Amino acid sequence: MAYNILVVDDSDTMRAVIAKTIGLAGIALGTLFQAVNGAEGIEVLKREWVDLVLADINMPVLNGVGMVAQMKADPALGDIPVIIVSTEGSVTRLQGLKDQGVKGFLRKPFTPEELKKAVETVLGAHHE
Amino acid sequence: MNHTVGIAEMKISAEPGDILATYALGSCVGVSLYDPIGHVGGLIHCMLPLSRIDPAKAERNPLMYVDTGMTLLMQALFDHGAERKNLVAKVAGASRIMDAGGVFNIGERNYTVVRKVLWKNEILIAGEDVGGSAPRTMYLHVDTGRTVLKMGGEEKEI
Repeated sequence: MAYNILVVDDSDTMRAVIAKTIGLAGIALGTLFQAVNGAEGIEVLKREWVDLVLADINMPVLNGVGMVAQMKADPALGDIPVIIVSTEGSVTRLQGLKDQGVKGFLRKPFTPEELKKAVETVLGAHHE
Repeated sequence: MNHTVGIAEMKISAEPGDILATYALGSCVGVSLYDPIGHVGGLIHCMLPLSRIDPAKAERNPLMYVDTGMTLLMQALFDHGAERKNLVAKVAGASRIMDAGGVFNIGERNYTVVRKVLWKNEILIAGEDVGGSAPRTMYLHVDTGRTVLKMGGEEKEI
């Protein structure tokens, strides 16, 4: 089966890098959706079938933390696995996200191989 | 048969019995590219990151530099029937040897350019062992694409 993935990041460059890496990673990709902030991300999630979310934390309008909180509060979206891709280093903030069920963290700057591994780990675990 | 890849050299092979080897990778970087479908592979041993440092020298020996060398390695593999989308890349070396103070960061810069060239060519690194201060010897087994490193007395596959 092919996975639909949503990338939420306010940087065009970052979304392009993530999109290219996912393309190269050999992951069975259905549709790659993109959103520039958490609010747009939630819109996409309500409209489309998404299997995995890759989200930044620091974004305008609605940040990654707020987006995860909204997802968890919505029974239809709460089970979609999320990987946080961010420069965030605050242990408290990361622990808070972990407590909310975030499946993975990737610290920027990352190598494409690290991103590939994070996605494979989460999709593999999700599929078992 | 074993083929030695010297400094600023590369070798390509599609002979299943061949092993390509390059010795004493210090701040130099060794890159193996292998097409597991076409069973063809190549190994290069580059010294310096960018050919624009010395264009005249780069013209005489483009394999000395990572940017021009990698391009030629890929081209040679394509000429032997390899396909870009199949290529498995492994990287070794790029240590701080001969540059203990880290003044020039040659190893690190070599590695950065390898990454850039591969990214541009849409190839992810499947295995690597870089940095540190130990010299490495790198072997590419042409039958399987297995890439093995020897460091000190230890041997490991990347």
